[in-house]
Amino acid sequence: MESANIQYLGEHLWAGQLGNCLVILSFVAALLASLSYFSAANCEVNSEGEISWRKIARLSFLVHAFSVFGMVGTLFIMLSQHYFEYEYIWHHSSKEMPMRYLASCFWEGQEGSFLLWTFWNAVLGLILMKGSKEWESPVLAIVSLVQVFLCSMLLGIFVLDYKIGSNPFTILLREYPDFKHLPFVQNANYLSKLDGKGLNPLLQNYWMVIHPPTLFLGFASTVVPFAFAIAGLWKKKYTEWQRPALPWTFFGIMVLGTGVLMGGAWAYEALSFGGFWAWDPVENASLVPWLAYVGAGHVMMIHKNKGQSLFATFFLSLIAFILVLYATFLTRSGILGDSSVHAFTDLGMSGQLLVYLFFFIIISIVLLAVNFRKLPKQAQEESIWSREFWMLIGALVLLISAFQISLTTSIPVINKIFGTHLAAPVEGKAFNHYHQWQIPFAILVLILIACSQFLKYKKTDPKEFKKNIFIPLGIALILAIAISFYYGWFSEGKTVFYAALLFACLFAIFANITYFFKILKGKFDHAGASIAHIGFGMILLGAMISTSRSEKISVNQKGDVEIYGKEYSNKENILLQQNDTAKMGDYFITYKGKRKVGVDVFYDVEYLKKDANGRFSETFILSPRIQLNQRMGNVPEPDTKHFFTKDIYTHITLADLENMGEQPPQITSGEYKEPHNNNISVGDTFFTNNGIVVLQKLNTAVDKEKLGIPKAQIAVGAMLKIFNVYGKIFDAMPVYYITDSVPNTIESKVDELGLKFSFWQVNPSTGKVDISVSEKASGKKDFIVMKAIIFPYINILWMGCIIMIIGTTLAIRHRLKRNN
Amino acid sequence: MKKSHIIGIVLIAIAIGAIFASLGDASTYASFSTAQNHEGKEFHVVGKLDKSKDMIYQPEKDPNIFVFYMKDSDSTERKVTLHQAKPQDFEHTEQIVAIGKCVGNDFHASSVLMKCPSKYVDTKQQKI
Repeated sequence: MESANIQYLGEHLWAGQLGNCLVILSFVAALLASLSYFSAANCEVNSEGEISWRKIARLSFLVHAFSVFGMVGTLFIMLSQHYFEYEYIWHHSSKEMPMRYLASCFWEGQEGSFLLWTFWNAVLGLILMKGSKEWESPVLAIVSLVQVFLCSMLLGIFVLDYKIGSNPFTILLREYPDFKHLPFVQNANYLSKLDGKGLNPLLQNYWMVIHPPTLFLGFASTVVPFAFAIAGLWKKKYTEWQRPALPWTFFGIMVLGTGVLMGGAWAYEALSFGGFWAWDPVENASLVPWLAYVGAGHVMMIHKNKGQSLFATFFLSLIAFILVLYATFLTRSGILGDSSVHAFTDLGMSGQLLVYLFFFIIISIVLLAVNFRKLPKQAQEESIWSREFWMLIGALVLLISAFQISLTTSIPVINKIFGTHLAAPVEGKAFNHYHQWQIPFAILVLILIACSQFLKYKKTDPKEFKKNIFIPLGIALILAIAISFYYGWFSEGKTVFYAALLFACLFAIFANITYFFKILKGKFDHAGASIAHIGFGMILLGAMISTSRSEKISVNQKGDVEIYGKEYSNKENILLQQNDTAKMGDYFITYKGKRKVGVDVFYDVEYLKKDANGRFSETFILSPRIQLNQRMGNVPEPDTKHFFTKDIYTHITLADLENMGEQPPQITSGEYKEPHNNNISVGDTFFTNNGIVVLQKLNTAVDKEKLGIPKAQIAVGAMLKIFNVYGKIFDAMPVYYITDSVPNTIESKVDELGLKFSFWQVNPSTGKVDISVSEKASGKKDFIVMKAIIFPYINILWMGCIIMIIGTTLAIRHRLKRNN
Repeated sequence: MKKSHIIGIVLIAIAIGAIFASLGDASTYASFSTAQNHEGKEFHVVGKLDKSKDMIYQPEKDPNIFVFYMKDSDSTERKVTLHQAKPQDFEHTEQIVAIGKCVGNDFHASSVLMKCPSKYVDTKQQKI
């Protein structure tokens, strides 16, 4: 099909051309900035050469940064104006989508999220350009180099048949390989009828508006310590680079940590995982760099105070950034395939991503190897009674923890390299697998957090340490033992670990509270670290209690399947028919019915709780929903009732979507219940469970032959009309007749509604008749299969997040004050 | 021996332990016939739903049992009993990974992973 000479109507080709120009400009400018910063860095500081190179470099970086901002702006305009002639816009947005999720459309695709990353790097680069003084040239040379690679991901050009990058501005829908042979391409006015495919319903959530930019700012920020560490090795200023890099590192730790937890909040609210963390490969890929990053920040603190662990500061700063690149490779190369729910699909850029990854790995290794012997060595060993010794141990535990998580997450990569067919553990098994490693690591880290605050750099008096640690240790031990007894954690080998983790969390929290009041005398200025550590302890405390004590209250007692082994005893789903009440935990729950609101079907589930006197003490309605999306598949989203001490999470596993409002559910089985008599006149109505019955008139002229009662003296038919809840109308006619003075009836059934009518009596004086109706006991009424989980004390986790953010902010502010 | 050496050795030991444990915990992708030859051992079986045969789900009897027929990549067909609720939109799934073990001729899955064509990539052509 040739479409070259069709004049398409209503296309906005200027937007794509503008965007494409900006892509190329940003790439070239980044390359120029990198080269000229590189030349500037190779001149002597503040020499004439450096100043003139730097001038060009700054100009290039400004051009680069503003073209990136321009790209972001252009893409936003294209999305908000629904320019569906572009494949990216068509693919990720639609007209019916609420505008507040516009941002989510922006970064739903690979291209948009690369652009987001590039954007943050450009912002960070501008700030660094302004504030890095003598570090500007080498550091920005590295940042610009990273930008060259990132921009190349957006180029979308072919070099010798190999496609470099994917460009959201150049791919037109009518030229897209999947569509270019379709008939619509021949229609010059195709745009007038076109709507976009729309945003994945799971991403239509407010967390998805703020989680990706936060996470990507965190990812992007790892470039700062990386660039400073490389600059330090390159310019042989082995120690000086840390002073400017340190506040950035803690800023990044805070932002990345927040971003990861926001992802957890999204999963908790919008996904059907049944929790906030599922050890999904994509989650792991964002957690692993954070662990290394935290390690890097802490060894930099050691080095600042004691001048030790220099190699570790380099190693961890470099590896944090490289792990971000590795995470990018894992999630975007398509290698995770079906082992993850939310990895991106492959855009054929895995080769490019690998080049990117190995380029920076090789640079790091070469620079470290060349400089290794020149790094100043520490003179003596750390004392066992020093803070730095245990901080280093803590950083190493974090590194090992990161290693273990990456290893299991990398199973698809291992399969690729070694040709094996390993399958990573999923669901319950993933929990067991990761927890058996990560719980001991967490216990170690928490105990180190508790103790090392009371240790001084260099040398601590053991007596003083023991005196200080005694109170928090005592409180934590007593509380942990009491709670563990209450929960019955000492009875089983596996749950003893919970008791130990509980103790470690409490110990970390109370030790830091004690430190804050006793040593710091409640002064906030120096308390950033303590407060952040309290927050961290609370996050793990909330996570461990809500996970270990989570209770699936939707227990189904039917069917014993444990003969096949414990993992099959999955009884967490319960069936609820409309208006049936079931007891679930402390609650009586009733499925009240469904409502369709826009694209969502809400299933109202009423929860009632009886107190000791049998009165209902608590009632609320949860409305989990299923989002109907013909193009994307129907997606269930949970609903959660938040209490201060617990959350009740309710999630539809399966619901009947066939009968959506128009059709009543089919009734095919079940016995008729006891009939119910109605003494009525013509024109009266009475109710059944699923409809309204009207007695229209009495028919005395019934065809006796046809009814099989030729000998009847009297025969009267009651003409009934039944309106069901969906407004559909049914007819029924039970007949009353008398043969040989014996009154009798002919029943009339409405199978679809499960109703059976009989006509028993006519009272000529009042004109009233007796019509009885029986309904089927448990026909197939509308039903849902649902799951309900109680998460106790999950609020401790969210509170911990906020406290950790506050603490880290205080620490960064304090550090910046000192630096100036 | 210096403290740092001891720490180094301990770390390497943990790392090696982690490697072996991770590989040990991993299950393997296999076909139904392999799973049947190792009855009782857990496998991941990749395959397609046989849409010509009925899926059985009777939530009023037991909402946590769902039976369907699946063809693996060697076209071997087995009855699969999933000990969970029927996943929403199961009939639209393109590829299934059933995780579980063989008991006799039947496969008992503790969970399934579905790959819905519609979830992230739309293969349906839009009518214009």
